[in-house]
Amino acid sequence: MDPASTSPTRRTHGDDTYDPPVETLLRADKLTKRYGSVIALDGVSFEIGGTITGLLGPNGAGKSTAIKLFLGLTEPTSGRAEVLGQSPTQDEQIRARLGYMPEHDCLPSAVNAAEFLKHMAEVSGLPPRHARVRAADTLRHVGLFEERYRPIGGYSTGMKQRVKLAQALVHDPVLVLLDEPTAGLDPSGREEMLALVRKTHSQFGISLVMSSHLMGDVERTCERILVLENGRVVQQGETATFTEDYETLYIEVTARRSELMAALAARQIDAREDGAAVVVEDVAGETYDHIRDALVEADAPLRRLAPRRRALTDLFRTDDESEKPA
Amino acid sequence: MSESPTGQVFDLGFSRYEGKREGRRRSTLAVYKDGLRTAMGLGRGGKAKILPWVFVSASMIPALIFALIAGAVDRVAPDFSEELDLPSHADYYAIAGIILFLFAAVVGPELFCPDRSNRTINLYLVRPLRPTNYAAARWASLVTIMTVVAWIPQLILLLGLTLGAPKPGTYLADHWTDIPRFLLAGIVIAVYVSTIASLAATFAKRRAYAAAFLVGLFILTAAVVGSVGAALSDDTTKWIALLSVGDVPLYVNDLIFGEQTSNAEEASPLPGVILVGWFLIVVVAAGALVLRRYRKLTL
Repeated sequence: MDPASTSPTRRTHGDDTYDPPVETLLRADKLTKRYGSVIALDGVSFEIGGTITGLLGPNGAGKSTAIKLFLGLTEPTSGRAEVLGQSPTQDEQIRARLGYMPEHDCLPSAVNAAEFLKHMAEVSGLPPRHARVRAADTLRHVGLFEERYRPIGGYSTGMKQRVKLAQALVHDPVLVLLDEPTAGLDPSGREEMLALVRKTHSQFGISLVMSSHLMGDVERTCERILVLENGRVVQQGETATFTEDYETLYIEVTARRSELMAALAARQIDAREDGAAVVVEDVAGETYDHIRDALVEADAPLRRLAPRRRALTDLFRTDDESEKPA
Repeated sequence: MSESPTGQVFDLGFSRYEGKREGRRRSTLAVYKDGLRTAMGLGRGGKAKILPWVFVSASMIPALIFALIAGAVDRVAPDFSEELDLPSHADYYAIAGIILFLFAAVVGPELFCPDRSNRTINLYLVRPLRPTNYAAARWASLVTIMTVVAWIPQLILLLGLTLGAPKPGTYLADHWTDIPRFLLAGIVIAVYVSTIASLAATFAKRRAYAAAFLVGLFILTAAVVGSVGAALSDDTTKWIALLSVGDVPLYVNDLIFGEQTSNAEEASPLPGVILVGWFLIVVVAAGALVLRRYRKLTL
C-alpha cells in the first residue's frame, strides 16, 4: 500500500474547526508502524477522548494496527501511542483500564457465561469476590442474565456477540476498543448491539472506540469519527457536522426550471440538473434561505424539495471495494 | 447521541467499579486456577469430566492392587512376604509412569490448545499479564494436577503397606524415609510429563494431535532405544538410552530411592549427575520453547 497514492488534496474534514476532545484517552503522535516494506500507519497524529468514536476505513487502512498499538501488543516503528498519558508497551498494567472486543470468534464453548465472565474479570486484576458480582452485573447489562448458566457453545451469534462485549466491560474499563462489533449479525442483532454500545456510553460513561467499515453503523452510533485510509487520517470530526456539511438538496419543479437555475446562479449557488431534479450540493446554513428566495423569484411550481444527508459512504471513493459490507 | 427516555428498564445492577485492581499477580493466579478447573472439567459439562476422572481412577488401580496384595500376603502367608519381592514405592512410577504420561498427554493439550484454536488467547493478550505469564500459569496448573495424581497412589500404597504390616508402628518407623522420597519423585515425574505435554500442546493445533504425538513419542523412542541398544555395545547403549523420553524421570526416581527398578535400566550405569543433568536439560529446554512460542504471540 503506497501512502503516496492517497490524494493530498482530499479534504480533511473540520481541520479548522477541530476541537480536541476534552479528556484525551488515546493519543497518537506521529505514529508510524511498518511491517517490512508495508506501511500500516504513516505518521498519524490524533486524539481520542471520552465519547464514542468511530474508527472508519476500508480493510488495510490501519485500524487494527492502531488498536494493537494502543493495546501495547506491538511497538511503533516511530512516534508514540499513549493510553491515559502512558505508553502501553512499557506498562501492561494500563491494559487493566482498557477493554477489547475482537471481531472474530474468541469464546470457549464448554463453559457458561457466568463462569467465563468471572474468570475474565479476575484476569483483568479484580479480586474473585468482586469479579463474581461484576460478571452478573455485566451479563444483566448485555441482556444475558437469564441464560448465564448455559454453556456458551449453545448460544446464538447475537448472544455470543453480547458475551464478547460483556467480557470487554466486565472489569469496568475507562475505554473499550470494539473491532467490528456488528460483524455477522442480522439487522435486528445489529440494532441491538449498536443500542448496547450507545447505552454503555450514555448510562455508564464508558468511552468506546468502534472500528468498522460499515458506514451506517458508525453514523448512527458514534459521536466522533476518524477516517483512516492507507495508514493516514483522511478526515476527523463530529459525526453531526460530518453529515450536515455534506447535505445535498434535490429540488423538483414541474415548470420554469431554467428560471430557477438562473435565480440560483444569481445567488452564487452551484446547481446542476440531474434528470428531473435540480441538485444543489453542500447545502448548509443560509443557503437554504437563498434557495427558498430563488424558488419564489423564479415562480417555479415546486413539486418536491428533499434533502439527502450524504452518508459516510460518500467519504470513500466509489471504486473502493471495501465499501461493500463483508 | 442521547437516547430518548421511552419506558426503558434500567439495569440498576451495573455500576462503576471503584475497588482494588490487583494487576499481574491476580491475572496469573486466575489463569492458574482456571487451568485446574479446566483440566478436571469443573464448571464444564459432564463430557469434560469423563477423561480426567477416568485417568485419576486408573492411576489408583495399581496402587490399590499393590496395597491389597501387600496387606493380604502378610496375613495369609507371612513367610512368603520376603520372597515375593512386593512392589514398593520405588517401583511405583516405573509401573504407573505410562498412566501419568497418558494423563498429561490428554490434559496438557486441553489446557493450551482450545484457547488458541478458539482464539480465546486474544482475550488474555489484551489483559494486564504477559503471554509468558499465561503459559507459565497453565504449566503450573498441569504440574499441580500431575503431582497430586502422582502422590495419591503412593499414599494408598503406604497405607496398604503400613496397615498390612504385622506392626504398623514399626513399619512406619523403619520406612518413614520412603515418604519424602516418593513425594520428591512424584514432583519429578509430574514436572517432567507436564513440561513435555505443554511443549507438544504449544505447537499442536488440536488436542488430538498433541495427545497422539506424545503417546507416539513415548512408544517410539522406547522402541528405537531398545532395538538400537540391542545391536550396539553396552557402552554406547547407556548414552542412547537417554533418548527414551519416558525413561528420563525414572532414572531420577531410582536415584532418589537409591535402588534400581526394572523398567528403565539401560542408562543406569551413567553417573547420577549426568542423569539428573539430562533430566534438567530436557525440562528447561522444553519449558523455554513453550515460553518462547508464547512470547511471540500477538493478535
